[in-house]
Amino acid sequence: MLSEFSAIEGRSPRYWMLVGLFALVLAVGMGAFLAIEVYGHGITGMNNQVVWGMPHVFAISLLVMASGALNLGSMSTVFATVQFKQFTRFSAFLAIVLLVGGLTVLLLDLGRPDRLLLPMLHMNFRSMFTWNVFLYSGFLVLCLLYLWSMFSYKQFTKVVGSAAFAWRVILTTGTGSIFGVIQARDVFHSAITGPMFVAVSLTSGTALSTILLVSTYRRTGRHMDEKLVFGLRNALIFFTLLVGYLFVVEKFTKMYSPAFYDVELWLFTGPWAKLYWFGVWGCCVIFPLMILFNGRWGNTVHGVMAASGITVVGVFAFVAHVLLAGQSFPFDMFPGYQLSSVFLDGVDAVYTPALVEFALGFGGIALSGILFLLGIKFFRLLPGRAVAPKGWELPWSP
Amino acid sequence: MTMDRRSVLGLGGVLAAGLVLAPGMRLVAAPENVTEASDKRRWGMLIDTTHCDAACTACTQACRTENNVSIVGDPQRDIHWIRKVDLHDKDGRKPDRSLPVLCNHCEHPPCVHVCPTEASFIRKDGIVLVDMHRCIGCRYCMIACPYKARSLVYSKPKVPPDANTRVPIRAKGVVEKCTFCVHRIDDGGEPACVEACRKDGGGSMLFGDINDPNSEISKRIREVSTTTIRADLGLKPRVHYQGI
Repeated sequence: MLSEFSAIEGRSPRYWMLVGLFALVLAVGMGAFLAIEVYGHGITGMNNQVVWGMPHVFAISLLVMASGALNLGSMSTVFATVQFKQFTRFSAFLAIVLLVGGLTVLLLDLGRPDRLLLPMLHMNFRSMFTWNVFLYSGFLVLCLLYLWSMFSYKQFTKVVGSAAFAWRVILTTGTGSIFGVIQARDVFHSAITGPMFVAVSLTSGTALSTILLVSTYRRTGRHMDEKLVFGLRNALIFFTLLVGYLFVVEKFTKMYSPAFYDVELWLFTGPWAKLYWFGVWGCCVIFPLMILFNGRWGNTVHGVMAASGITVVGVFAFVAHVLLAGQSFPFDMFPGYQLSSVFLDGVDAVYTPALVEFALGFGGIALSGILFLLGIKFFRLLPGRAVAPKGWELPWSP
Repeated sequence: MTMDRRSVLGLGGVLAAGLVLAPGMRLVAAPENVTEASDKRRWGMLIDTTHCDAACTACTQACRTENNVSIVGDPQRDIHWIRKVDLHDKDGRKPDRSLPVLCNHCEHPPCVHVCPTEASFIRKDGIVLVDMHRCIGCRYCMIACPYKARSLVYSKPKVPPDANTRVPIRAKGVVEKCTFCVHRIDDGGEPACVEACRKDGGGSMLFGDINDPNSEISKRIREVSTTTIRADLGLKPRVHYQGI
């Protein structure tokens, strides 16, 4: 029997301190945006070789997690996973706030954010960016409808929830395809880039949901059945294995072609190798699995939380690696020749992120954080007690 | 919240005005309606690398002067519409080369394909341009271009006292690139880099209509062995190179 939904009280000094902290970070982020707006991107670390920097890393990571945040809703509505039905409202709301945070950073990092109306007036349907404008706004609308149906029109929940599920798969494929379709860059160009983004959204969304659910229930003194956390752990294990599988397939395919030897060797041993091995493989796949498969750590809530935290770090590392390494690898315009020029042809691009970029990125996270905190205070998003349905048992534990 | 009749009418009026004005704004911004370029022409360039001296920068200097391309002083952020690239054969079998690289004005330009606002567009005569009033500075075109031919204006550009008034100064936050000196072409001239190369350099640059079989460039492309950069990408670039 599911418990009644209720908002958290949100009156404690700790709650308001957290809101205040996020508000402060958001204010700093807004300040960073204004500074970039006034002085130009010259005050960032970006340059004419690495044109997308940390704000894009933050924005795309948030957008990937927004899609993944809908996991619990999709698992319940589409795949009838009954134990997560109580988290569907939370899931749809989290997807919305992460999307808002990510989009805000993305738009404020434009060279001319004052021309924001132009993408809506002049659309180029060959551009993945144009498609993403539709995909993001459509996802936002579907999540709002999904949430609304769960509150007031339950008869539509199945339809809207299923549409939101299909949309999120297309959305994240679209996000990955921003890079995947770029033929000019060897690191980006792959048919599997989109599916890899989908897989990483599954892990990071589940991980972030786990962290926020456990923290919210613990901090508000509510009860959350540990079995539910371990259910999330099992889902996280499955999704993480999927990520590892796609990583292997991508590398195997590229390493098979001599044309990619140079770039792949560069990725494994070059200036971004640490991020690749430690951040991408370590945080996205190996470290979480080491914890989750461990008989002792994997069966504690702390262990699951630690693995989830590492997975969330992993999504940032994955996006950072795709973006930054992808732009740093020099163009091979004249095969067989060593290139040099005043425009730094033939050498690895150098990028050192500036503080304003981190401020803008963290501002986006803070915006999502504030919206989440206000959401769980003013809406009945979570059940008072999160309990496993009667008769439901974990199918497997490490 | 309720709205009285007056507010509803007022709001309706504003919306109607917006609908009327929006197509007008579109007409002003749309470049294809104001150009006189002919779709019968296809401008192209041939660069004979055997006559391009490594020490010569006549083309790059002329481009900066003609198009008001200022030097920022930071190699990472300096804007280059055209640059000299030095090539050294890794096996040491072919001679070293030095050649200019610029926007290749491709037939299938990836920068135009990815631009969300159609700020990057192809003119009827094949010249790829950027409408600086429509560019939102997303930099996706810079990601997509395999020739590194585009630069973002990272800070407010310095206007030289002897600036060429025929070429507007670009605002910070937008992307800019070589235009093949479109203002000179429309006057029946040729790009400044080609003119400078002939006058002060080795005369290695040739510009013309590659659709015209009798043009000098068409004849040369037929007669000598030429190549294009990253021909494997299928973009059909219109800058051809001889001697590499």
